[in-house]
Amino acid sequence: MQNNIAKFRKEAGLSQQELADAISVSRKTISTVETNRFTPSVIIALKIAANFNMPVESLFILDEAD
Amino acid sequence: MSNHDIKNEEKFMGQNAWFSLFMGVTLLIISVYPLLTQTSAPLLFFGTAAFLGSFCMFVIRGGFTWKMKYHLTYKDEYLNTIDTIAYKHVVLGLLFSMGGVYLFSDDLALEVSHTMMASFYLAVMCLIYGVSILWQSKD
Repeated sequence: MQNNIAKFRKEAGLSQQELADAISVSRKTISTVETNRFTPSVIIALKIAANFNMPVESLFILDEAD
Repeated sequence: MSNHDIKNEEKFMGQNAWFSLFMGVTLLIISVYPLLTQTSAPLLFFGTAAFLGSFCMFVIRGGFTWKMKYHLTYKDEYLNTIDTIAYKHVVLGLLFSMGGVYLFSDDLALEVSHTMMASFYLAVMCLIYGVSILWQSKD
C-alpha cells in the first residue's frame, strides 16, 4: 500500500513531530507509515485524514498485490 | 492518550532497549567467565552490583513515570507492534540457542552449571530484545 502522507504533510508545512502530536501518536509511527514500513490501523488512518481534511482514499492507495 | 504519555513511552522503550543490551552483555560475561577461570564467586558479586547499578541508573534517571511498570503493552500502536515483534525475535533466538546447546552440550556438560546455562539463556534473550528494538526503531 502506498500513501501520500509525506506529500500532504510537507504541503501543510508540518514536521513529522507536529503531525504526530496533532493525532497523538509517536513520531516513529508517522515516519514508518510514510516510508511504507508500517501499515497503520483504521483509527490512525482516519485521524491523519481528518487532520488534512480529506478522505482516507486520497491518502492511501492500494497496490495490485494488496 | 496525551502527547506527554507518548513521549514517555518512546523514552521508556529506548531506555529499555539499552538496559536490555547492557544486561545481556553483563549476563553473557557472567555465564562465560567461570568457564575460563573455574570460579564464579567474584563474578556473582560483580553481576549483582552491575545489575543493581544499571537498574538504578535506568529506572531512577530514566525520566518515565512509575505507573509504566504496571503496563505490559504500549499504548502507541507502532511501539506496541515493534515490542511484539521483538518478543517474537527473542523466542526464535532462544529456540536456536537451545538447539545449539542441545547439539553441543555433551562437550560442555562437565564444566557448565545450570546457573551458567540459565545466565546464558537470559543473556541471549536480553541481547536479542535490545538489538531488535533498536533495529526496528531506526528511521
